Amino acid sequence: MEKLLVSPSPHLHTKTSTKSLMRDVVIAMMPAVIVSVLFYGWSELLVLGVSVASCVLLEYLITKYLLKKPCTVCDMSAVVTGVLLALNLPATTPWWVVFIGAVVAIGVAKMTFGGLGQNLFNPAIVGRVFLLISFPTYMTDWTRPQGFIGGGIDALSGATPLGAVKEGGIAAIECLDYSDMLFYNIGGSAGELSAIALLIGFAYLLVRRVIKPYITCSIIATVAIFSGIFWAINPAEYTDPVFNILTGGLLLGAIFMATDYVTSPMSNVGGIIFGVGIGIITMLIRYFGAYPEGMSFAILIMNSVVPLINKWCHTKKYGR
Amino acid sequence: MMKTFSIGGIHPSDSKISKDCKIEVLPVPSKVFISVAQHLGAPATPIVKAGDTVKVGQVIAEPAGFISAYVHSSVSGTVKSVGPRKDLAGNNMTHIEIDVEGDEWVEGVDLSDTLITAIPEDNKAILEKIKMCGVVGLGGATFPAHVKLCPPPGKVADCLILNGAECEPYLTSDNRIMIERSKEIVVGAAIMKQVLGGCKTVIGIEENKPEALAAMTAAVAQLQKTAKGYDGISVMTLKKKYPQGGEKQLIDAVMGRQVKSMGLPIDVGAVVQNVATSLAVYEAVQKNIPLITNVMTITGDCLPMEKQHNYKFRIGMPLSYIAEVAGGVPEQAAKIISGGPMMGKAIANMEATTVKGSSSLLYLTAEQTVRGVESACIRCGKCAEACPMGLEPFLLQKYARHNMTDELEENAVQDCIECGCCLYSCPANIPLLDIIRIAKGDVIRIIRTRK
Ligand code: SF4
Ligand code: SF4
Repeated sequence: MEKLLVSPSPHLHTKTSTKSLMRDVVIAMMPAVIVSVLFYGWSELLVLGVSVASCVLLEYLITKYLLKKPCTVCDMSAVVTGVLLALNLPATTPWWVVFIGAVVAIGVAKMTFGGLGQNLFNPAIVGRVFLLISFPTYMTDWTRPQGFIGGGIDALSGATPLGAVKEGGIAAIECLDYSDMLFYNIGGSAGELSAIALLIGFAYLLVRRVIKPYITCSIIATVAIFSGIFWAINPAEYTDPVFNILTGGLLLGAIFMATDYVTSPMSNVGGIIFGVGIGIITMLIRYFGAYPEGMSFAILIMNSVVPLINKWCHTKKYGR
Repeated sequence: MMKTFSIGGIHPSDSKISKDCKIEVLPVPSKVFISVAQHLGAPATPIVKAGDTVKVGQVIAEPAGFISAYVHSSVSGTVKSVGPRKDLAGNNMTHIEIDVEGDEWVEGVDLSDTLITAIPEDNKAILEKIKMCGVVGLGGATFPAHVKLCPPPGKVADCLILNGAECEPYLTSDNRIMIERSKEIVVGAAIMKQVLGGCKTVIGIEENKPEALAAMTAAVAQLQKTAKGYDGISVMTLKKKYPQGGEKQLIDAVMGRQVKSMGLPIDVGAVVQNVATSLAVYEAVQKNIPLITNVMTITGDCLPMEKQHNYKFRIGMPLSYIAEVAGGVPEQAAKIISGGPMMGKAIANMEATTVKGSSSLLYLTAEQTVRGVESACIRCGKCAEACPMGLEPFLLQKYARHNMTDELEENAVQDCIECGCCLYSCPANIPLLDIIRIAKGDVIRIIRTRK
């Protein structure tokens, strides 16, 4: 004991840090990552590698040389963005397209706003949407690459289930078996492969108290109710609720992207409003819009109203 | 369902390492320095001077205002000096230095162990005794007890809540007195209850103190069977959650009522007193013993079991002396706290002396207590989730950094109870409470000048 430390209370601090939270998010994404690598093989590994490496490198370079701020790479948020971006792309995406996605995600969506905590939009989604608009061919051509296992499975090659519906009507998906989709059999971006893998990640996030269930559950419930009503009225025209929940990156978005701290509301009530908004917009785009899926757009649109939601939804104060 | 408060709260490890250490009486040192500021309100005025001889329990300083309290000598001997000396935080305050000779008490004090259960009838006399014995709240605020026991005109107490939550990690002194002095505490509660007009009385204890719960429940049952004036007293088990012992939180937990912003507990019919205060009331009223002793915990993860203690100390003992008797300050201690780790004060000066409200010497290692480097707010909302007052600390700190006092007041910074839950919870290590505390002071000053 040399000199006594003197500082104001409290004198203890939780072990949870920004870094440990981000690490938990990465761990939660692992089941989905593993499934996608198993089924999409080397090409998925390449997409993941390029995405994570470029996100981390870009954040490092930008903080160090452009912003001249303390380096924030160690907080692992760039890794989260990297994995998320990769899970949002088809495994066949060429490496340079992935890199452009990372530049947009980190360079534009995150760093121009001032880095972690300041960005209005979820960086990974901005990256994905940018690619979707700029390179539609790469982003919607879902030819299935050779995986490490399950090479023979080929439910719908060439299009995502939602894309198939947009083009060929509801008959196009009659061959789909939902129990397959639960485990591995969805054409689409890598992270949409297995609902079970995503749900394991969700459970992990809840158990570790990284996120609360409000946003995710309100999105899923809204989509279920919305599509349930339309489907009940006209099942020949509209897809059913289970289909809508299991496809189009809905779970991936609801669990890992809409729950991003920075770009979602702070309060529970706000979270529910946010989730309902995403659910409704997603379904409006899917049923009536030009794009087969709508999750990314829905999240971006709702991201932009988060400041408003935060302004109106405050916590319940004691004695007031 | 066990009760607890409804908003926020955190669950730090309770670390009650010394919970089984019986209360030991500290030997009296050769010299004591008794502060005249041992209570909330105006420091007392010394009425002795160098050369005077004093006995144990003799008044040595008188209250200097309505909110102030008597201070008594904790030893017998000769007053050596009356003058400034550094307190815990290193600030100068008047202390009365006494050289100890023998242990001679003033007349009329009953030092026997006999339990006196019969409650005197005259409430006025009881209040006078509580005041004359210098009893103050021992739960942290050290507010003069007799003031709290006289509700302002028009206000009625519906419920007396005895605070035995001891929700701060590490502290075990309340736990020990509830186990070892349970009957005295219940008698004290019955006395306060009678003064308040016979309202319902609830003793709230957190679930992590099963022995104290059992002892207090048994004491209540026995006194209800054998003596008069003990009806309507009950023990309530509370869920373990910090800050359960916060006055506003305890009222919410026990009565399901919430005190309005800037209001007083009595506005919702509540009077809260700590269990240690109840013991002091017993000793004052039934035994004529002024408040010159209390129990403090010596603890820390870096202390071996045999150096963990619960000590009955007398006021005016140098902390360094107590640390020495307890086995020395451990090598690894980087910070020593007086009070709990959440709301206690870091000790700057170990030559400071014990006061009525002293509750611990808590040794924390650098690893435990040094804060991480502050990084950007990630808007995780964990601070708001933790805040037991339902505030939004991330927002308050932002406004505070820009000196936006109107927004701060609108968002109730003045309601902050400085519990530290927000700062404890923030993954980005933002010094939320440090910033909010200053802003709160500013806003309260503005509200006061407006009135
Ligand atoms: S210190 Fe104040 S702002 Fe922070 S959690 Fe406690 S009451 Fe809320
Ligand atoms: S806990 Fe810290 S990082 Fe999270 S919202 Fe509050 S201030 Fe921001």
